[in-house]
Amino acid sequence: MKIVVTIKLVPNPNAEKRIDPQTKRLVRTGVETVLNPYDEYALEAALQLKERAGGDTTVTIFSMAPDSLKEGLRRALAMGADDAVVLSDEALEGSDVSATAYAMAAALRTLKFDLLVVGGLTDDGSTGAVPGALAEHLGLPCITNARKVDVNDGTIEVERETDSGYQIVRGPLPALLTTALTFGEPRYASLKGIMGAKKKSIATISLQDLALDRPVGTTGSKTELRSFAPPPVRGKGKVIEANDGLSGAQAIFDFLAEKRLV
Amino acid sequence: MKNVIAYAEHRHGETRKVTFELASEAGKIAAALGGKAHAVVLGPGSEQLAGQLKSYPLDTIFLNDDVDVEGFLLDPIVDYLEAAARVAGPSLMLIPNTLSGRDVAGRLMVRLDAGMVADVVEMKVDGDAVVCTSPKLGGALITQCALRPADYGVVTVRPNAFAVATGGAGARLEPIAKPAGKSYSAVIERDVEEGAGELALEEAPVVVAGGRGLGGPEPFETLLKPLARAFGGAVGASRAAADAGWVPYNLQIGQTGKTVTPNLYIAVGISGAIQHKVGMRASGTIVAINKDAAAPIGEFSDLLVVGDAFRIVPELTKLVENR
Ligand SMILES: Cc1cc2nc3c(=O)[nH]c(=O)nc-3n(C[C@H](O)[C@H](O)[C@H](O)COP(=O)(O)OP(=O)(O)OC[C@H]3O[C@@H](n4cnc5c(N)ncnc54)[C@H](O)[C@@H]3O)c2cc1C
Ligand SMILES: Nc1ncnc2c1ncn2[C@@H]1O[C@H](COP(=O)(O)O)[C@@H](O)[C@H]1O
Repeated sequence: MKIVVTIKLVPNPNAEKRIDPQTKRLVRTGVETVLNPYDEYALEAALQLKERAGGDTTVTIFSMAPDSLKEGLRRALAMGADDAVVLSDEALEGSDVSATAYAMAAALRTLKFDLLVVGGLTDDGSTGAVPGALAEHLGLPCITNARKVDVNDGTIEVERETDSGYQIVRGPLPALLTTALTFGEPRYASLKGIMGAKKKSIATISLQDLALDRPVGTTGSKTELRSFAPPPVRGKGKVIEANDGLSGAQAIFDFLAEKRLV
Repeated sequence: MKNVIAYAEHRHGETRKVTFELASEAGKIAAALGGKAHAVVLGPGSEQLAGQLKSYPLDTIFLNDDVDVEGFLLDPIVDYLEAAARVAGPSLMLIPNTLSGRDVAGRLMVRLDAGMVADVVEMKVDGDAVVCTSPKLGGALITQCALRPADYGVVTVRPNAFAVATGGAGARLEPIAKPAGKSYSAVIERDVEEGAGELALEEAPVVVAGGRGLGGPEPFETLLKPLARAFGGAVGASRAAADAGWVPYNLQIGQTGKTVTPNLYIAVGISGAIQHKVGMRASGTIVAINKDAAAPIGEFSDLLVVGDAFRIVPELTKLVENR
């Protein structure tokens, strides 16, 4: 079985985010990146499936990212993925979610796979629309938010978390899967994994390798960032020391009463 | 884009407040665009919900109580929404930013060759573009993003961001035919409800959230639930509490959990890590109860009470109950 996992490199949540006022795009160079948290769970799910399936099952990482960031994917290789493919092209800069999903789908089409595991949501774009969009472009069953997965004889069976419980969902392979956090904490890379990752392949493909029939990047986008600003500052408020329960409770109650919240 | 179509997500006719927020906003935006507002209601229970939606500023409510909607994972819903969009003509599609809503939106974006803006908290019509306000990067930036003029656009709408307003002349119900020639692939074999009847965390006007400081699962039941109930609100949690298995993951608030914007957020025994902050920073008023005067949560709370949650919360519950 061949599994492909999509992974986005996103700015470290603790790093200061800057948008270039000229291009109105997030500055991605010179900023420390991490593997998008949801994607680490997707990778964990894929690695668990690989361990269970054994044999010749492989896990390939796919990312669309500027060339300068791609070494960041070694962390995913160190966790246990076999190799990585990066779609990288200057013409992709400024792609919105529709252009991104379109370009990603074209690249993914060139990789043969049985299962495509995608994260549920990115930390930066946070549209959560890429999984559904990829499934449509690639004509795959779209099974999302899995907390348990079984693959057997060309069929995938998933326990899918919903807002109010869970569902058992079954579909044929190849399929697209996204994973819930309940799937289990992503593993740490072992020292051996980190050493081994240095020798693993990170292949790069560009738009020339794909036959696209519509533009991508800024011109191929259907949305346009007009402006951005930090949220109103939320300063440090009042601090009250409560020596006993009642005085603490009364302080909160009075504060809420003043704001007409009780 | 001239018309607006709201997707009314529901289970057997039972829906959440966000559906009515969408229906209200659909009427407003359609008026600004000079088009019509519609809603789409699908699956068993459609008629019941459509009846409720009639008093919103909508022109047409498309419906079909097709049982396949409950038998296959979202495939039929995407088909019906696409069909409704084609019947209505160029439209802006409003989809709730919920777990399944996000899947629907991504798929519809491709079907309709549309642009998309996610997690929208405000919308404005500016000439022939729709400009959407949405927080990005965990709320570190508030962006204004325009859907470029095109036939179709898709927006996922954050629950609790738009006002509910009934009105209008009474919408017309119109059955919509099942799109032909589709074979669905993802079969729902079983559908299990667990937390039925609980107020949805994203929509609660008050959230009382607990963290590692509560020390175990019991205080969530004995301490936080009564306080949340006294406020008519819901209980949430930090990831530390969910990871420890004290509460289910669907109560987790933050970067890898839910984003909530209640009028009042009470953080009990939560330190206020950045990953937690991004899920609740946009709340109206934030009150923290923490033993540690230096806990980071103090930096962005309107009130930090330094003290023992086990003593303070029961007293506060009594005060709120007796108000
Ligand atoms: C990729 C990633 C994603 C993450 N996503 C999330 C997320 O979505 N949501 C989230 O919450 N976290 C998330 N985290 C974890 C986050 O970094 C913190 O570890 C977590 O929020 C801490 O939870 P806590 O505040 O409950 O626990 P702690 O940080 O341990 O804080 C407990 C607090 O309770 C106080 N306390 C103890 N006893 C009492 C008492 N009797 N009365 C009053 N106060 C008391 C303590 O002073 C302390 O401040 C994520 C981390 C990573 C790396
Ligand atoms: N540039 C990218 N490279 C690789 N994967 C991506 C990229 N953008 C989005 N994804 C995948 O799609 C998921 C949802 O992303 P989004 O719709 O942007 O929130 C992420 O968790 C990733 O798995």
